[in-house]
Amino acid sequence: MLSEIGFVDVRIGPPVDTFKGADGEQKARLFQVYGYPFFARKPALNKENRHG
Amino acid sequence: MAVESEPPIPVDANALREDVKSKYREVAIDPHGKYHFHTGRYLAKHLGYDDEFVAWLPDAAVESFAGVANPFSLQTLAKGEHVIDVGSGGGFDCFVAVLQVGARGKVIGVDMTEEMLAKSRSTANVLGLSNVEFREGLAEHLPVEDNCADVVISNGVINLCADKRAVFSEIWRVLRPGGRLQFADIANGKPVPEGALKNVDLWTA
Repeated sequence: MLSEIGFVDVRIGPPVDTFKGADGEQKARLFQVYGYPFFARKPALNKENRHG
Repeated sequence: MAVESEPPIPVDANALREDVKSKYREVAIDPHGKYHFHTGRYLAKHLGYDDEFVAWLPDAAVESFAGVANPFSLQTLAKGEHVIDVGSGGGFDCFVAVLQVGARGKVIGVDMTEEMLAKSRSTANVLGLSNVEFREGLAEHLPVEDNCADVVISNGVINLCADKRAVFSEIWRVLRPGGRLQFADIANGKPVPEGALKNVDLWTA
């Protein structure tokens, strides 16, 4: 979805076991739910666009 | 994964929003209550936040933190950057951001829950921070102008929005060309049954 909108350099970091030891752990395990850091960039304007 | 194209979620967006608001109102008022997720300093450490930053913050800035990962782990912020936090809650990530961008930087937190806004504004006053501001608003309609942010951050919020494309499109609008989106969120490795997806109560359970 990010790429479809126009974002570039899309990256996903390593998973974190967000719910480990919490009351929601069992449900998280059931659906393999983890937390992730995401990164994306809105492309810079090229020179043509900047002056155009 | 949340970044892949997905069909619209079969859930009432307004009902979901009210449910989320109710849950996070509780977290603002009673941060040490019983929730299905961790909160506060324990969670910040668990998610790998810099101990030095977190130790500097008063309890009020950290206790209602309910993020799911660390949006600063793939890239830290630079001095002087302008940052918007989508769903800023009690303000924890905004205060971490302020420490990174320094006095020349600016951070705007946007949240829809009155109790969270009151808490984050109060903490900003206590800390004497003039370059962090908290505004009431929705992720789908951010109360900021076009192309104004160097970085948009968010933590554990977008998964709770029914229309993720609307949220990402709004983030695109407020980012300057060349700006970055750094967010943390959950993703499931196994599909959730459609019946569960339609049940608003299960989204925040």
